[in-house]
Order: sequence, then structure tokens, then C-alpha cells
Amino acid sequence: MSLRVEQSLSQLLHEAFVSLRTLGKRSVLALLGIVIGSSSVVALINIGHNAAVDAAMIFKDMGTDTLVAQFPPKGNSSAPMRASLDLEAVRASVPGIAHIGALSVFGGPIVFHGRTANANLVGTTADIKDAMRLVVRDGRFLSPFDASETYAVIGDQLAQALGMPGDPLKPGDRIRINDYLFLVVGILHNQARAMLMPVQANESLFIPAEGMRRIYPTPQIGNVIIRATPGQDMERIARDASSALKRQLTDHDVDIQVPQQMIDGMTRQSRTFAYLLLALGAISLVGGGVGVMNVMLMNVSERRREIGIRMALGARQRDIRNLFLLEAVTLTAVGALCGAVLGMSAAWLYAWLSGWTFALAAAALPLGVGSTLLVGLFFGIYPAVSASRLQPVEALRDE
Amino acid sequence: MMTDTPAHPGLISLQGIGKRYQLAGQELTILNDVCLSIASGDSCGILGASGSGKSTLLNILGLLDLPNCGQYRFAGHDIFSASPDELAAIRNQQIGFVFQSFNLLPRLSALDNVALPLSYRGVSRHESVEQALRMLEQVGLAERAHHRPADLSGGQRQRVAIARALVGKPSVILADEPTGNLDSTTAQEIMDLLLGLNREQQVTLIIVTHDPHIAERLERKILVRNGVVHEAGRL
Repeated sequence: MSLRVEQSLSQLLHEAFVSLRTLGKRSVLALLGIVIGSSSVVALINIGHNAAVDAAMIFKDMGTDTLVAQFPPKGNSSAPMRASLDLEAVRASVPGIAHIGALSVFGGPIVFHGRTANANLVGTTADIKDAMRLVVRDGRFLSPFDASETYAVIGDQLAQALGMPGDPLKPGDRIRINDYLFLVVGILHNQARAMLMPVQANESLFIPAEGMRRIYPTPQIGNVIIRATPGQDMERIARDASSALKRQLTDHDVDIQVPQQMIDGMTRQSRTFAYLLLALGAISLVGGGVGVMNVMLMNVSERRREIGIRMALGARQRDIRNLFLLEAVTLTAVGALCGAVLGMSAAWLYAWLSGWTFALAAAALPLGVGSTLLVGLFFGIYPAVSASRLQPVEALRDE
Repeated sequence: MMTDTPAHPGLISLQGIGKRYQLAGQELTILNDVCLSIASGDSCGILGASGSGKSTLLNILGLLDLPNCGQYRFAGHDIFSASPDELAAIRNQQIGFVFQSFNLLPRLSALDNVALPLSYRGVSRHESVEQALRMLEQVGLAERAHHRPADLSGGQRQRVAIARALVGKPSVILADEPTGNLDSTTAQEIMDLLLGLNREQQVTLIIVTHDPHIAERLERKILVRNGVVHEAGRL
């Protein structure tokens, strides 16, 4: 006679199914806590993930190989910024610079065939095209030989705003800024917004820097955009470029932002946010777990007689323990699944309301469902073990 | 699966069994120096007034309760040195219980109730359902297999309970007032069923009862009075 036998898997599954079918209303209430906990973990992880994806997207268009220099005035100095900088000297003294260009920005109206639009008028040089990753849709960009010409390259949205169906703005058209007519030599491709860039190319008109005085008497350089060759240490370039630029300035400082630092900062921030959300989810899960434990303890005391009968029929302590543990886990598994569906819907809704693209976080489902099951297991162990410790004769005795 | 204990004269042998309870600081002696030997194939009635200790004796015989002292061998196993798991396995494989209040699990169908003991010995679900169905046929309830206990009459419930006790092919059936909750006709039928099993399949039958009519039909009568056991003359 063999004294060591295990319940077969099919029997265990059958028991779980029966207990699932006969779950009472109280279990449904306990389930509510589990569903809330599980769905908040799933939703929060996913929302955090989507926020991080969205933040990363902002920087993606700009690339991490781009630096933007600003020139805040030193102390209380009110001296105007210079109208031009010797960028070639900077390029020569800092190895690793692929493209460099200065921007002096001035806002003003542009007129084309009687239609007016406000635009950023950007005085710049030919190299800014590659420094800002501009792509020409039609015509060409400014060239180094255009310095004294009244040529302009126009951003996509601005071109559309000035054009009309049947009368679009084309290369070769002339547009008027104040009293000057500029010849449009190129139209840019539509560009995604680049958050770190001081100007948005879509809403800008690029003209040669040397010609800025025609429309504005005191042009000042606002920013210098530097794009490095691939594989460079951006912090070193930022340091070197900063000191090279400082040599040309008397009343202004140089402040260069390194995109990677900002991305790191944002990632850190969103990670802190995600941890916070995770902690919230964990707290609601523990609340749900206590609910499960409560239901299971009631369950065990209500089914004392059943425990006694099962023991009389040959159930060992571990069979009784497994029975109740399986019920607790089945209960939480149902809660976890409902929670996963609910959490995903909540995350999708949140992404939709925030205008983000919904991306499924790889960790959200396994982490949410897994942690819920662990909670069920943890809070199910005590009731299950206390059920298995009952003596058969005591369990069978009528209350 | 019958017992494999040729070395012992009886299937069940109790020597000097005592059972005491600690109740409100007072020690109560329920059973005192019980010596009893039951051979395979016997049919015994345990008789006594309520409170005489006969239910305690049945619990000890059925390994649901452990005595405080004495020696108890069941089918060759020393009960005092067996672990709880071994006791559970012996209950599962050697003993079939029939209770006065049927003790079916209300959430399970008749079929699942009968199949339950098999699940604790590693039989697959499919096979245990087949065996349970055969057992229900034997007690004449095949067409009620999927009814819940609540939908069955008292006699039918006790038949299901007997089928559950028999499904594991035990060597002993322990019945605690099996007809106590039934009308006299049904009680007669249930007794016929149990005695038929004892006769035809050589299952040892131990019935706790206070009904002398039932005791009359059994070979041995064991009287319990104030925790002491006497055997009335064998038939």
C-alpha cells in the first residue's frame, strides 16, 4: 500500500473550477479590492511608460548630437549682443564639430499677394541647414554665396499660410518684408516640433544673416546651434565650444545645454513618478489582499465540516492547504485578469486624453498580474494553513 | 485494494486504549482500557447510550482521533507511530465512512462527492469519475449522478454516501448511526445494502447504533457503557 500520493492536476483544476463557480457575493466584494489594486498597478506602469516614451519623442527629432548655445548677459550689463560671431574660429578650435550656425531671430509680418502672416525672421548661414536637420522640399537652401542677396527659404506651415489653393507659394515668388522684396529660393519640408530648438522651422523664414539689417536695425545673435560628428563626447564639445565662444564675447556669458543631460534628467523624473505610482498600486493591492484573507478566513470557518469530511475521506493536511490556497489564488487570478483589462483600458484612455500614442509597456502586464497573484498567495497562506491544521474530529464536530 | 497483513489475526486490534479530555480544567475519561479485536469480514454493532463513549470509540477506530494510551494496530500499521499523512492515507485506502447526517459536500454533485476519495490517491479526474459512476450504479443512483445532495431524498443521500465510502474499495466500513435520519422503510433498505456488501464483498462492517433491531442483524454486538467495552455473546 503506497502512502505517498499526490492529487493529479486534473483533480486540482476541477476543484478550482468548482470553487470558482460557487464563489459567493462576499468574494466578489473582496475581488473589488484586488481588481482596483491590480488595475492601478497595470495602468500606472503603462501610463508612466507612455509618459517616458512621449518625453523621449520630444528629443528624438533633435537628436542627442545637437547643442544649443545661449548668451545671457553678464551681470547687469545691458550691452546688446553682437550681430555676428566668427564661427569658423570656433569650428577650428573645437575638434568634432560637424556643423555650426548662428541664429538671430526677429518676429515680423510677411506679405505675399496681399496676404499677411507673422513669422520668425531668422538671419542665419548656410550651415544651419545641417545643424538643424532642415530638409528642403522644393528649390534649395541658402548658400554661402547668397550673403548679399535678398533670398529667403520658407518653412512649410508658413508657406501654406501665405499660399492659397490655386495660388500656392512657389520657389521664385517674391514676398515682402517691410519695404524689401525677398525672393523665395526654397521651401522646407514639414518638420516635427523640436522642443529644445529656439525656433520652429515650420513657422520661420530663413534669410542670410548679413541682410538682417535691411529689416531690423540692430540684429543680435540669439543662439548658436552646433551639431557634432557622430560618436563625440558631447560634454567636452560643449565645454570647448563654450570657452571658444567666450573668447569672442565681452559682455555676455555662454550657456550650452547638452540634450543628453536633459533627457537623463527627464528619465530620472519620470522614473521617480513611476515609483510613486507603483507604491500607490502596491498599497491598494495590500488592501485587496487583506480583503482576500478576510474572505478566506470566513470561508474556512464556514467550511469546517467540509474540511472534516475531506480529512475523513483521506485528504492530507497539504491537500486541505492546497485546496484553500488554490481558491485564494483563483480568486485573485480572476481579480488580476479583470484588473489587467481595466488597467489597460485606463492607460489607453489616459494616453488618448493626453494625446499620446499608446504603447504597451512590456513590464506592465506580467508585473501587475504577477504581483497580484503573489499578494493572493501571501494572504491566502494563513487561512489555508490554519484550515489544514484542524484535527479531523474537531472539524467534523457539529458547532 | 485489500489489506496486506496476514501476520495479524485481526484487521483491527486495540489493547488498553484510553481517551481522556481536558474540559474546563477537569479531566474527563471517555474510554478506559478498551481491548477489542475485529477480524476482516466481521460485522459488528457498537451499542450504547448517548454519552457512553461509542462515538469516541468510532472516531478512534476511524483514525479521526488519537487515543491517549494503549496500542492500536490497523491493518498492520502502528497508529501511534504513524504520521498524520500516513493516517490520512490509511483512512483513504482502508476505511469508508458513513455518517448519520450523510456529510455530503453540498457544493458538489452526487458524482463528484463519490469521486472525491479517489482524488486524494492520485487518480486522474477522468478515471475517478468513471469509477464513481460505476459505484453509483451499484447503489442504484446512476440517473441521479449530476444532482446536488440538496436535490436528493434522505435515503438517496445515504446511498450516495455509501457509494462514496465504497469507491476506494476499503477493507472497513465505519457507519455512525447510518439509518438515524431515515424512515423505517428506507432504513431497512440501507441496512440491506450494507449487509449485502458485508456478505458479498467481505467488507468489514462496523456500525454504531442504539437501535436493537439493527444490532440484531449483525454478527457481533459490542456494548459501550461509561467508557468500558463489553462484548455480548456472538451469534
